[in-house]
Amino acid sequence: MTASKRWLPLTFKIALLTLLLLWTLIPIIWMVLSSFKPNTIITADTPQVFFTPTLEHYVSLFSSGNSLWPYLLNSLFIAGTSTLIAVVLGCMAGFGLSRIRIKGKQHLAFWIISTRMAPIAAVIVPLYLLFRYLYLLDTHAGLIVAYLSFNLPFAIWLMTAFFDDLPPDLEEAAMIDGATKFQAFRHVVLPLMTPGLVTTAILCFIFAWNDYAFAQTFSGPSTQTIPIAAAQLLTQTGIDWGKLLAIGTIVVCPMAIAGLLVKRWLVQGLTLGAVK
Amino acid sequence: MATLQLNDIVKDFGGTQVIKGVDLEVKDREFVVFVGPSGCGKSTLMRMIAGLESTTSGEIAIDGQRVNEVGPADRGLAMVFQSYALYPHMTVEDNMGFSLRLAKVPRAERREKVLAAARILQLEPLLDRKPRALSGGQRQRVAIGRAIVRNPSIFLFDEPLSNLDAALRVQMRIELARLHEELDATMIYVTHDQIEAMTMADKIVVLQDGVVEQIGSPMELYHHPRNRFVAGFIGSPKMNFLEVEVRGADAEGVDVALPGGDCRVPVAGDGVSAGDTLTLGIRPEHLVLDEAGPLTGRIQVIERLGGVTSLYLEHGDSEWILVADGNVAHRVHDEVRFTFDPACAHLFTAEGLALAHLTRHPLADIDRKENRASFA
Repeated sequence: MTASKRWLPLTFKIALLTLLLLWTLIPIIWMVLSSFKPNTIITADTPQVFFTPTLEHYVSLFSSGNSLWPYLLNSLFIAGTSTLIAVVLGCMAGFGLSRIRIKGKQHLAFWIISTRMAPIAAVIVPLYLLFRYLYLLDTHAGLIVAYLSFNLPFAIWLMTAFFDDLPPDLEEAAMIDGATKFQAFRHVVLPLMTPGLVTTAILCFIFAWNDYAFAQTFSGPSTQTIPIAAAQLLTQTGIDWGKLLAIGTIVVCPMAIAGLLVKRWLVQGLTLGAVK
Repeated sequence: MATLQLNDIVKDFGGTQVIKGVDLEVKDREFVVFVGPSGCGKSTLMRMIAGLESTTSGEIAIDGQRVNEVGPADRGLAMVFQSYALYPHMTVEDNMGFSLRLAKVPRAERREKVLAAARILQLEPLLDRKPRALSGGQRQRVAIGRAIVRNPSIFLFDEPLSNLDAALRVQMRIELARLHEELDATMIYVTHDQIEAMTMADKIVVLQDGVVEQIGSPMELYHHPRNRFVAGFIGSPKMNFLEVEVRGADAEGVDVALPGGDCRVPVAGDGVSAGDTLTLGIRPEHLVLDEAGPLTGRIQVIERLGGVTSLYLEHGDSEWILVADGNVAHRVHDEVRFTFDPACAHLFTAEGLALAHLTRHPLADIDRKENRASFA
């Protein structure tokens, strides 16, 4: 009796999750699969699941005249630097915001996250004008600043939430043990913040890595990122589907793996055992 | 070894005073317990001593040196937190040795000191474990060990036993008392549990709403409470209170009217006159069942604890708790008569202040050292 009661909703849950997974995964799986297909099969009228895989699209991406390497390096450098800055500043600001007792703290915190609420489209033109005056167009620094403007408030907000979860007893215990505020932060707080730092870093990196609008507007020939390279394959003379799918795979796969890592960290309760 | 003085210290949190001018003198090697109901400010007071909270006004001095401006790291204290606050990413050994690592003590010496503390607390087999692999009692011990390794001038304990189950709490209480003997250090202990306060303290500080109600030895607080709050807070079950009318009063005693006749309580009756209303306080353990007693009551509830029995009595609109021996044969709804020795009774004015007893209880001024001598 009880078994069938549990069994029914369970099958329902599984069915729902399967549907959701198919909905999410089929386009990605199809993209990854197709990136290994020869061009003739990609554009065939009937979809083909079985084929002899080829690396030709990947090889031509990195060997042809317009190699993907500079784009990849730009993406890694810009996303990496903006993430690093966002995490370092976000960590310190978040700690302050979580611990300091000041009036109207919630308002301050809300104001910081509210700057992230504006849609990219609303800030892109003003930023373009600003960047032109500051000679930041077609520079790595320009894109790093643009991504920071969105990632920093987000990082501060996220890190504040992580610090709020960490009982202040631990830092206080460290200070009574003879630590300065900074030593308490360095030896006790920071090691316990790894899940928070990794989560924040990956989410910030994904934002910068996936961005197309900022990169399209602010970058020039020497600073273009991977999404721009992908867009360049959509030309008036035709679309190079094979290369496009290969780029898509290169963009998506590292982030998908990173996303799974975030999940692991998010769930982990590292503070278990610190406080009853 | 260290002394501590608090001089009219005040803590103000954005307009609300939580500590309203506390004076206290802690002697070297004394075990002082702050006790009071939740929200009375006892933890805040301890955090101010530790340096975790700033002091709005007044002076805190350790060994005669003002420390108001000294940070928690440099006050030379150790604190055991209610939550234990063990560093979850460090092993037991690293937790205990953290203060030494910060002080740049060489590894070998550090290990030696940690081992010495671990030996006292029987923690040696656990040194390589992380806190999450320990039971509540073990975590508690590690937290105490960490304090011992620090070799502080004063130990601070913030409700250290409140997360333990009852049996473990009793065991740790005894262990802490023994530890105090062994380390012979100045200790300050915060609790809301008056049994912990009574059993461990040399000196109890009773706090309510940020004000010190009374400071004294456990026996002094028990036998000579300064006011009605202390009388009700110390002792379990709670003291019985009854409004009574004064028949007559002089320096030798006060005559009050009780339901079963008048009674003379031997307290200083200066300033009290016939017709005044006072509150009579009498502890449940000082009420005695007596067939010829002047007081009566109907039993509402009987709690048999084996050794003693608590009777909850009702008479008219007054309620009494009476603690009798374990062999009382009465049943619920029985009508019983009882009496008390007026020398054990207390009288409180309308403002709640106690009228002073004419004779001091012989144990009221006993201190821990004398307690210990009696065992030798």
